[in-house]
Amino acid sequence: MKRTLMLVALLGGSAVAQAAQTGVLTIRFLDVGQGDAVLITAPEGQSMLYDGGRSQPRMRTLLQQYGVKSLALVAASHADADHITGLVPAIELFKPKLFLNNGLAANTNIFGKLTATAARVGTQGLLASGRVINLGSVKVTVLPPPVGMPKNDQNLNSVGLLIEYGTFKALMTGDSETAETQGWLKAYPSPFLGPVDVYKSIHHGAANGDNLPWLTAVRPKNVVVSVGPNNYGHPTEKALGLYRQAGATIWRTDQQGTITVQVQPGGEYTVTAGKAGTGAPVRPTGPVPALPRTVPVPAQPPAPADTSYPNCAAVRAAGKAPLLRGQLGYRAGLDRDGDGRACE
Amino acid sequence: MAEEREELGVSYVVVDGIEGRMARVELPDGGTEDWRLASLPSGVQEGDVIRIDVQAGDVEIKIDHEETDRRHALGQRQLDALNAGTPDGDINL
Repeated sequence: MKRTLMLVALLGGSAVAQAAQTGVLTIRFLDVGQGDAVLITAPEGQSMLYDGGRSQPRMRTLLQQYGVKSLALVAASHADADHITGLVPAIELFKPKLFLNNGLAANTNIFGKLTATAARVGTQGLLASGRVINLGSVKVTVLPPPVGMPKNDQNLNSVGLLIEYGTFKALMTGDSETAETQGWLKAYPSPFLGPVDVYKSIHHGAANGDNLPWLTAVRPKNVVVSVGPNNYGHPTEKALGLYRQAGATIWRTDQQGTITVQVQPGGEYTVTAGKAGTGAPVRPTGPVPALPRTVPVPAQPPAPADTSYPNCAAVRAAGKAPLLRGQLGYRAGLDRDGDGRACE
Repeated sequence: MAEEREELGVSYVVVDGIEGRMARVELPDGGTEDWRLASLPSGVQEGDVIRIDVQAGDVEIKIDHEETDRRHALGQRQLDALNAGTPDGDINL
């Protein structure tokens, strides 16, 4: 126990290089603001990125910050911009062997840029199907969209991943909604799905994602909500209530920064959190179940549901100038030179 | 002082996602913004291309179904080509 706790103290909170540690699987739920991005590194050093968040510069910074040297595979749970934008620089930088996707194109320019970049660097598309990807000694099972999902709905065609290492399980299912989770419940036996040690909250804690029948099967011990300032009310009280009802510890990237999971060969794991590079406090929960997993989410006022400034005078009056593209309240009308910095 | 008005002409935005009463749109410069769903044409769906025409202070905004279909077909062709060599079976990395 003492050794494990020391390990936690040494590993947590700092911008640890991504170099593989002997026998340790590392999963980082990256702090990308409102969006998803999960960096997974096998004990043998192979890495993959599941979603890339909504900002190319931010992803570049994070990949550098965590010392990523290579990516074997990138995956898009689905084609929404807050999941795929950061995959573009990831592919440019590391030319991964494979790009896992749901096979449904989006109309956006960023999606076109993603496929063009993959084609240019020689990354092979990998249509999601029920197969296993062995990332070194880590078993990654692909959960393709169930049969019958409408092809014009990206969320309902999210690609899921089940990650297993020893007795450890992690599950992530993009922005899927109830119809898709119902399909998965029919396709997979309950013991296959759960219990999972770490679970990525569906759709940043939206009201139309996680639901009771699904969470009853998944039985998450830790839920990571990947979320940032947003106008959508994410995470919703409904979703947070479901996670509490499941008895899960809730982790939030908007409040705690990047959430890091370190898994030992047998499956024993620790979860830590901290703003990258700040040496922020560590919140160990493991080893599980030797230590209590009740880590309260810090009480902070929720992000405003909507922030809109009529003009730059209002932005300056609020002390928010300059507003950067992607920040709450930014809009092109306030950014006269279009350089991404409004009300300079 | 009167604010300088700039004529924009025709521009296109793409509805990347709909989140409740908000729509996340991709702007011509590649950035994204959240717009109120009510500010977009009735019946708008994810993936729709919106044509915005600003002339002499008048704004016309509508779903451009033709452009939507064109972009979708192009994007799907590119993705299909990328996936064409998808390997079979389990994969070792």
